[in-house]
Amino acid sequence: MTASSASPPPSAATDTSANDNIQPFYLLHKASSSKNSSRKSAAARRIDLTPSKPSNNSQFDSHKAFHSVWSKIDSSIKGVLRDVNNNVFNEIHTWVRQSFLEITSSGLPSFAEATRSLPILNHATSKQLFTGLVLIKNMEFVDDLLTFEELGVCLKSHGCHVANLSSRDFSTKNGVGGCLRSLLRQFLMVALDAADISILASWYREHGNHDSPVVIIIDDMERCSRSVLSDFILMLSEWVVKIPIILIMGITTLDAPRIVLPSHVLQQLCPSKFILASPAERMNAVVEATLVRWCSGFSIGHKVAVFLRNYFLNHDGTLTSFIRALKIACVQHFSMEPLSSNLGLLAEEDSNDEGEGPDFSSGMVAQIESNLACGLTELKRSQKCWGTVVMCLYEAGKYNKVHLLDLLCEALDPNIYNAVASGTHTRSGKGFDITSSSNQSVAQQYWRKGGPISQVIQKVRDLPAASLSQLLKSWENLTMDILEIHDKVKELHPMIKMEDGMSLKQDFTGLSKRHTSRTAAYIKESKTGNEKAANLITSMISKFMKPIECIPFHEVVCFKDVEKLQLALNGDPRRRIQVDLLEFHKFLQCKCCNRTGNVPIPSMPDTSIMYTLAQEHGDLISLHDWYQCFKSVVTNPSIKVKHKGKQQSPLRKKRKETNENENKSESSIQARFCKAVTEMQITGLIRMPTKRRPDCVQRVAFGL
Amino acid sequence: MDVNEVDDDEFGFSRNYFLAKEFKGSTKKSNHKLSDIDLVEEQELRTAAANIEPKHEKEVEELVRSYRTLYQRWVFKLRCGFNLLMYGFGSKKALIEDFASTSLTEHSVFVINGYLQSINIKQVLIALAEVLWDQLKAKRKNYSGNSSRGGQQPFNSRSIDDLLEFLDEPQVEEKESFICIIIHNIDGPGLRDSETQQILARLASCSSIRVVSSIDHVNTPLLWDKKMVHTQFNWCWYHVPTFAPYKVEGMFFPLILANGNTGQSAKTAALVLQSLTPNAQSVFRVLAEYQLSHPDEEGMPVDNLYATCRERFLASSQVTLNSHLTEFKDHELVKTRRHSDGQDCLYIPLTAEALEKLLLEIN
Repeated sequence: MTASSASPPPSAATDTSANDNIQPFYLLHKASSSKNSSRKSAAARRIDLTPSKPSNNSQFDSHKAFHSVWSKIDSSIKGVLRDVNNNVFNEIHTWVRQSFLEITSSGLPSFAEATRSLPILNHATSKQLFTGLVLIKNMEFVDDLLTFEELGVCLKSHGCHVANLSSRDFSTKNGVGGCLRSLLRQFLMVALDAADISILASWYREHGNHDSPVVIIIDDMERCSRSVLSDFILMLSEWVVKIPIILIMGITTLDAPRIVLPSHVLQQLCPSKFILASPAERMNAVVEATLVRWCSGFSIGHKVAVFLRNYFLNHDGTLTSFIRALKIACVQHFSMEPLSSNLGLLAEEDSNDEGEGPDFSSGMVAQIESNLACGLTELKRSQKCWGTVVMCLYEAGKYNKVHLLDLLCEALDPNIYNAVASGTHTRSGKGFDITSSSNQSVAQQYWRKGGPISQVIQKVRDLPAASLSQLLKSWENLTMDILEIHDKVKELHPMIKMEDGMSLKQDFTGLSKRHTSRTAAYIKESKTGNEKAANLITSMISKFMKPIECIPFHEVVCFKDVEKLQLALNGDPRRRIQVDLLEFHKFLQCKCCNRTGNVPIPSMPDTSIMYTLAQEHGDLISLHDWYQCFKSVVTNPSIKVKHKGKQQSPLRKKRKETNENENKSESSIQARFCKAVTEMQITGLIRMPTKRRPDCVQRVAFGL
Repeated sequence: MDVNEVDDDEFGFSRNYFLAKEFKGSTKKSNHKLSDIDLVEEQELRTAAANIEPKHEKEVEELVRSYRTLYQRWVFKLRCGFNLLMYGFGSKKALIEDFASTSLTEHSVFVINGYLQSINIKQVLIALAEVLWDQLKAKRKNYSGNSSRGGQQPFNSRSIDDLLEFLDEPQVEEKESFICIIIHNIDGPGLRDSETQQILARLASCSSIRVVSSIDHVNTPLLWDKKMVHTQFNWCWYHVPTFAPYKVEGMFFPLILANGNTGQSAKTAALVLQSLTPNAQSVFRVLAEYQLSHPDEEGMPVDNLYATCRERFLASSQVTLNSHLTEFKDHELVKTRRHSDGQDCLYIPLTAEALEKLLLEIN
């Protein structure tokens, strides 16, 4: 009670200067520690009263921890994406070099000629502009903005002059001048009002720049203004002899240039095609780097993983949104979990000491309690095993085009693991035994039928010998760090190899009569190889693939609150604002409106009454009828009183008040009606009357 | 979250939409007009609107106060590089400003009132650049005093690109130092156009800027494309309904019962007409009389009007008549529509009674 009287309500505190409300913009306060202004001192006083404020120190730690963890995740994402793009970048670079040679092969114009403000027109072929069409495998450009930026950096590092343009530079409003200005900004580092391409030509000649090609990258060509892009290309093609310009454009379909550009512009282009990696490919690489390999120590729970997968598949299929979701998950974790700052230490510890030793340095032990440290050590070891098994599964799943994210969701499910683990324990004891098939049959029944893990195991069973041997080889490499698994794989590998050799021999000798020459015994033999491999992976799963949520202390590193993530990631204003109006009682928790049905009562907020009434109309609401309904609700509480017996007195009191001010009430009801309509207009729930229908408003939002 | 749930939602939405459409057809259309309500004078309405007794004042206050426990988390998100987007029913102006003045004292806080009708975004950028520049200057003085930008161009002669570039320059000295921009109603009328939204998106992605913004319109996310949402705005959404009245935000919205009133528009028409020349008034009268005597026609053909005016020596040429007509159209006294035979017709957008009243008044 004292706190509430000492701290003024926010509305009173900030509404002091009405003048500020009608300023388009103003400075509320400057960043300074001095507390001389009255507003600030009030603010400072309020800080002290903020309930249960965590100490600054702990917040700083979790903040630092977040940065150290996220920078690790971020750099590993950038790293894998760079690897994914590496091949196509190299291809583009080679092509740029070749095109440059071709342009310059006809000889460069003299300095004077080149800097003259008129273009040179020798013959038609010299006007051809080498154009790289980079096909992105997604309808959305947003994933590839970074790719094109990286491409620019990559080409720059190889000595090219590079400028990145985007559709924003190709607006009809600014015309070609806009693109030129942007080019000059990037090449000459100056901002000129009178942009002219001859400036670029003289820059290219003057500063010893002329040994390298000039590359212009347009990342989302299809969104550019067509006329501006056409003019730009025509202009470049006229100058291409003086400035060896090479154009690179991002497109979503191969038809794009034909659709966007008129034929006389198309003739100026000499296109080459390059294809970027698909979103699924990149997704696999990113998931591997961030969630499967223990890169930062941060991990997510099963439900969050399922949510992220659905978000990726249903929302927009862009990697960018996935990464953003992951980042929000990470930041939520650090802001909610008090022990999470240890994760930062763990991550740092990890980078200092890349080796095997799971024990922490004395510094760390001093900072966190020793049993927590032990728990985390165990957790880390267990996660490493888990990641290894998931990678083995993924390696096998590649033969069946299984996506890592799907696999991950199943591998993180604690229910499946618990069921499998208890089943195998009761039937065959604790042994890690690859020959026993009972393990596997028990386990089988728990995995979702047709789910990624059972698919993978089935695939292992069906793999041809050569692929199986390859698979085992990759398993051998993956399990290098975990001796227990590594030995089993090594044990199995020679057996398969032998069979493999046999099969090869068989294949060579009996190519023509392949089918008939295979004896039943051979088939059986090779099948046992597959069976063994399948058993191996099954027992690896049940022994080592312990989801993080089954390990003690996982709360420190694992984010599980899927609801928080969803709320922060993507608000749903259309639905929520309407729910707010209908269920205002949940938030306000007042005693007067404790209603049961959908009947509007006068004590409700006016806008809620109006919204409820609007539900009864079609897409057009007659203002007259709406007003009459509103009026009858707010003035006539008696008919609703029977709904709630105990609330009679306040309502009666209210009615009495209304009666007293009868003469005033009409104008005040009309004013309240107007205000409520305005509020609904601000929230976009209705559209105002048009000239055609001056007596009706239009409902815009239908249902939740 | 579940796939089925999403499908159900979508289904529910479309079903409701079609139900509402059908509803319109099946129920008898209301014949009541707005004018059937006994409307009070606009002045009285405005006074009443200013004195509306708020409901649930205490509960609203309590609700807004309850969000204070979240302030530390909000600061944390800002420091981690996210921008905050507040939504939910009710004015969030007071809430956000309270947050800024209690928890963001270490940072400069700049407010943009997006609910206003027009905002010059370039002026905003210039002011922001000046704030940042002052901040940097103060810091430099504290550290070493070597000001590297002595001869810089004044901000108000720079282009928007330059200003954004300046705001995006990485600050080596202190990672943590940022200016927080509060945008009340980023979906407001002054900021709603796509060009401004693009600039705001670029602003939000600047390294020395964080944004705390509020939205009220249910369809606001349609203003943004994926690039803006995922890479520039980088929102962290918060659902914070306050149920506080939209006092300031609704300031510039016309009261729905204050206009569309025939008495009102006849009155304004009379005022306009009285300020015109007698000749112009007479031209208007010709048109009005024609409209009253031909209630079923779509309007008076222009040629017809010209002929009548010539006969009565009201207009000597088409040019003079046109100048009168332009004046009428500018004040919305007269409108044109296409006659069924393709001819342009003039009509006065008032009811017969209002027109009669008006004629009496200008006589």
